[in-house]
Amino acid sequence: MEINTERTDGVLVINAEGRIDGSNSAQFLESIQAVVSDDDNGVVLDFGGINYISSAGLRVILLLAKELRQKQTGFGVCSLSSSVKEIFTISGFDQIIAIFDSGADAVSSLK
Amino acid sequence: MASEKRSRRSGSEDPESGHNYPYKILVVDDEPDLQPLILQRMRRPIRSGKYTFEFAQNGVEALEKLNAQPDIDMVVSDINMPQMDGLTLLDQIPSVNPNIRSVIISAYGDMQNIRTAMNRGAFDFVTKPLDFKDLRHTIARTLRNLVEWREALASRDQLVVLQNELDVASKIQQSILPTEFPQHERYGIHASMEPARNVGGDFYDILMLERDHVGLAIADVSDKGVPASLFMMSSRTLLKGTAIGLPQPGMVLSDVNDLLTEENETAMFVTVFYAVYSPMTGEVTYANGGHNPPLLIHADGSSELVPRVGGIALGILQGAPFAQGTLTLQPGDTLLLYTDGVTEAMNADNEEFGVERLQAIFQEEPPTSAQHTNEAVFRAVHSFAGGTPQSDDITCLTISRIQG
Repeated sequence: MEINTERTDGVLVINAEGRIDGSNSAQFLESIQAVVSDDDNGVVLDFGGINYISSAGLRVILLLAKELRQKQTGFGVCSLSSSVKEIFTISGFDQIIAIFDSGADAVSSLK
Repeated sequence: MASEKRSRRSGSEDPESGHNYPYKILVVDDEPDLQPLILQRMRRPIRSGKYTFEFAQNGVEALEKLNAQPDIDMVVSDINMPQMDGLTLLDQIPSVNPNIRSVIISAYGDMQNIRTAMNRGAFDFVTKPLDFKDLRHTIARTLRNLVEWREALASRDQLVVLQNELDVASKIQQSILPTEFPQHERYGIHASMEPARNVGGDFYDILMLERDHVGLAIADVSDKGVPASLFMMSSRTLLKGTAIGLPQPGMVLSDVNDLLTEENETAMFVTVFYAVYSPMTGEVTYANGGHNPPLLIHADGSSELVPRVGGIALGILQGAPFAQGTLTLQPGDTLLLYTDGVTEAMNADNEEFGVERLQAIFQEEPPTSAQHTNEAVFRAVHSFAGGTPQSDDITCLTISRIQG
């Protein structure tokens, strides 16, 4: 799975597209781990281009959240489509992962 | 060629790493001078125990030797020989031993025969007059390829063994799911799971509790594969053990969550909907650990999702709260618990089955029994998905309050 990244005010914003499921979740995690730097103040997954995330994908988000918490790096997701937001709500992930409306919101909150 | 790359990387021309006996090479040629020549020019690898040589005068003799000595690794053969020539021999070798590598000795520039030999499965060729340096290289390269081939075969065999073990694991996993359901005059229960290809995923349980109450659990473990299936087994055991001792679904999920979260390095989690049904009153008390809300279907076919009560998937957050909700099944009502394998089943156009299609099933045909309800769901999902492969387990657990 392809990811694009940019850094704004010390916050790493990661864009991904398509689906995150059991077939690509491990690769998704690896490609994110490869780009996150210890200097980042915060990491945001921009899900504007993601239309589906399975429980395997949620697990990747949980792993990332744990890793970043240990490094005391801020973490959140933004620009969720309504179906992905629904998955976050049902699973209760909205209670443990910061959700932002837009990348700009996320950056201003995590910088 | 891959084998050459590998040799450069390792800096060694020695093909027999991991090979603890000499390679046996059969040389087939009708010229009697060749045997002493080879033994002389190859004396070093022979003395150091790398190679041993066998000799045959023609194809017939070669086949006899191959039959008598199944440990021969490769054949170096001339083309023109009496009785049976080298090209015919090439055709015969696979039926004696399909894993033998052959190298052909041909006249210089005889592309016709070289092509024929390669087409018949020769691995390489050398030309006459024999250049022994080239022959040594060719033998080394051929044996390297043979070693890699054998390793690939061994890995494939291991994969087959592993796949068989996974199949067994999958069967064990399914065998713990109840397939016989309580018979009761006041209610009917039915459950069914269709596993996707891998082990892991969904489970359900039906527990007979005190005072005739029934515990109903449906769950979905994140991810697939062996780690997920181990997590599923422990979730299911913890849930069953806890549920039998505690009447309140919220407390059950809370306890199981804390137990699962304690040593969860892998960040696995499991979504669980757990309900306790009271047959006397039709009351359902439930708690939800991040699972899809079940569908409450009325006798007329209308339906609504069970109200959310919060609660996150189990195994994530120590001390997470699990609120309880209550609803009452009226006579003729049906409660359908399902996993996202139902609502997220895809068709060829990448559309999801979704809750609306689920509700539409019963608008057309109101449920008549728990079993019929599940069968109608599986039928609708299959017909929606068409030939699109199933990527997730599909599970339904249904209870219906019998009318009258």
